[in-house]
Amino acid sequence: MSVAEVLRPDEPAAAECRQVLVAQGITKSFPGVLALDNVDFDVRSGEVTALLGENGAGKSTLIKMIAGFYSPDRGDISVDGVPLHADPASAHRIGVATIHQDAHLVPAMSVAENIMLGRWPTRYGWLSVGRQRQRALAALAKVAPHLNPSTPAGRLSPADQQLVEIARAISEDSKVLVMDEPTTSLSPPEIDRLFGVVDDLKAKGLGIVFVSHWLEEVFRIADRVTVLRDGRLVGTRPIAELDHDKVIRMMVGREVRDTVADTRPIGDVVLSVSNLSRANVLSDISFEVRAGEIVGMSGLVGAGRSELAACIFGIDPYDGGSVTIAGEAIAPNDPKAAIEAGIGLVPEDRRKQALVSLLSVRTNVTLSLLDRLTSWGLLSTTREEEIAERQIRALAIKTPSSKTRVSTLSGGNQQKVVLARWLARRPKLLILDEPTKGIDVGAKSEISELVIRLAREGMAILLISSELPEILALSDRVLVMRSGRISASLSREQATSETIMSYATTG
Amino acid sequence: MTLENPTMTQRAPTQPGGLAALRGKISFIDLMQSAGLMAVILLGCAVMSFLSPVFATVRNIENVLQSATIIAVVAIGQTFVILVAGIDLSVASVLVLSSVLSVGLVQFQGWPPELAILAALVAGLVIGLVNGLAVTKLKIPALIATLATMTIARGLAYIYSGGTNIAPVPRIFVDLQASRIFGVPGVIVLTLALALIAQIVLSRTQFGRSVYATGGNPLAARLAGIKTERVIIATFMISGLMAAIAGLLITARFEAGAATAAQGMELAVIAAVVIGGVSLFGGEGNMGGMLLGVLLLGLVQNAVNLLNVPPNWDSVVSGLVIAAAAALDVYRRNYLEAGMRKKVIAAKASKPAKQP
Repeated sequence: MSVAEVLRPDEPAAAECRQVLVAQGITKSFPGVLALDNVDFDVRSGEVTALLGENGAGKSTLIKMIAGFYSPDRGDISVDGVPLHADPASAHRIGVATIHQDAHLVPAMSVAENIMLGRWPTRYGWLSVGRQRQRALAALAKVAPHLNPSTPAGRLSPADQQLVEIARAISEDSKVLVMDEPTTSLSPPEIDRLFGVVDDLKAKGLGIVFVSHWLEEVFRIADRVTVLRDGRLVGTRPIAELDHDKVIRMMVGREVRDTVADTRPIGDVVLSVSNLSRANVLSDISFEVRAGEIVGMSGLVGAGRSELAACIFGIDPYDGGSVTIAGEAIAPNDPKAAIEAGIGLVPEDRRKQALVSLLSVRTNVTLSLLDRLTSWGLLSTTREEEIAERQIRALAIKTPSSKTRVSTLSGGNQQKVVLARWLARRPKLLILDEPTKGIDVGAKSEISELVIRLAREGMAILLISSELPEILALSDRVLVMRSGRISASLSREQATSETIMSYATTG
Repeated sequence: MTLENPTMTQRAPTQPGGLAALRGKISFIDLMQSAGLMAVILLGCAVMSFLSPVFATVRNIENVLQSATIIAVVAIGQTFVILVAGIDLSVASVLVLSSVLSVGLVQFQGWPPELAILAALVAGLVIGLVNGLAVTKLKIPALIATLATMTIARGLAYIYSGGTNIAPVPRIFVDLQASRIFGVPGVIVLTLALALIAQIVLSRTQFGRSVYATGGNPLAARLAGIKTERVIIATFMISGLMAAIAGLLITARFEAGAATAAQGMELAVIAAVVIGGVSLFGGEGNMGGMLLGVLLLGLVQNAVNLLNVPPNWDSVVSGLVIAAAAALDVYRRNYLEAGMRKKVIAAKASKPAKQP
């Protein structure tokens, strides 16, 4: 197989508005779910097409199909007239490169080996390290000239790993580059750099598919927007014809209003953290959360918010200080003790930290409730089913049945399953760590409303979020963290984007 | 890249009525998953009864089942360990150690047989505990940790027995082997009872649920309040105990403290468990499938004997059957899923998707 070392610089005129990838009448169903229903989609060279839709709208299925992982039940996909067979290798061969949400690199291999993965150049049948380095450098020069081709990929930051994947796509001479939520784990300067790279690639005539939940990003980078809803195509429009509200209306099919918390009676102290310290992570943290109170916790990534949650919930040990719930001290480093004391945690990464993907929705909902479902040593499956069904209805979890595998649900619905687990247990304190991360607009407002309802019912809420609008809309009080300390405790009146950011960065 | 590959039964929409109700009570679904394996076994039996006049006799079938009991009991424990994504290579050595202790303590030390049996079982539990601690506290990979205890336990058994079988066995073993319950050999009843208890523990207790969760996602299990290290240690202890019980069965069957028996049995056990649909990655599988896996391997062994396959070829034949069974199982799952998908499309096409 011949590998072009350099991306062919297409003539700009020829690159304009030429359809590279065409998908027609795509239909795909999984047991119990019609994921895509007769969807048309196309990508043009030299353009960024944003693919939008709520979780469960069918974006991921469409992308996996373009990447060759799934075959459509009906419909065809072709790239420059060459049909795509349902096989990732075929997708690569005809020029589709996909950058998945989390980087797919071999951590122990060097950057150069990863760029040339599976296509390592040979000389007289032997691997040629020199040529490999040469080609890797050529690809890196376009997207990440600062990277050393011999560094093991596992040592790179997520942002750099992503650039390595883009370099791989370039070295493969791809015509279509699919980026599935590429900015999720990037900082603002890294996002700027990525978008610079995307602009370059666009100018070189690549067709780019960009999936994101961040509309700001979409308006920054996209030329066209394709919106899916419930597996159907809502429409494809040039970005110039759209604004923020129009896109949201297309995505959810209705107006979404911002949910703002109202005032409610605040009760006794539920969580009391005093002088909590952990070497190099947290120092001298003290605060309280009262019944019915929503305390927002803001700060930059790395300020120690998730680490604080991990200490309170007993995931990580701490060196000094104490955590009490309703006056009772909780044993450190023991999640079970924390749960029994009345704490619930919705962790940041639901797939890694909360859900057992092989198990059913029902089993995942009741995973922290088994002690209450057991009598005479046996689990009561009838009661388990009752509880699961009640939570599925209460949270409007979209699932074919309670026995469906949780991994087949969309992100928003998976997050609801995690919430359902804690609602079934009724904790005194619920810690939510980035509860709406990677969740679409509709599900976001549902989760916000749920948080308010729980507070009204007297639950103490500690809400960790990087999204300032969310913090500002929901919090009665905002704690700002910086470098492992609480740098400010702001009342609702004091809390604005400006005050929070200033305490997060310099307080 | 992990793409979801759920099996058809768990994704199937619930049907109202009798079947759905039954599913709640017992793990009917899990049994259905083993249908393919069952079909292979029945087909194999049909072919064998045609090829060999001896095969379909009560005596032969009883013989097959009796020799399968030992592997089955070990496999019960192994299933627990594999469900938490572990592996236990020490089982065959534990079995041998238990066997020589149960006879030797009576012969050499003059202990009462009941006490010797108890000591043998305790030995199994202790080795399981050591395995569990090595894996959870010392963080040694299960493969290596149990490889070490496998060698150690086998060594101890040789040292204690002097490398030879110990005979005669106490009366209680002879009685066990000869016992019949409603005409069925007692060891078979015992094995089925153990498997049934194990399945109830897996599907209907907090511990069983914790086993699946720990195997499926240890971090999520811990954050849900499950003491995952304890769960892992417990599975290794169950495996040790089951291997020790199997040691008593082998003592009864061979009428000796069998110091040299069960060479390489750990691999046969792991093969049976995996053929039975228990995922080596943890979190998936059940006792019903495991029993079918054991039965299939037992039948192959029997067929090889009855058909006079040259002795050196029998392991080749067994290996081929293992590979074929595994391939067929994968094929069956894919086929069923494809069929299911078609049904769903038909159902969806007949009614328009509702807008929420």
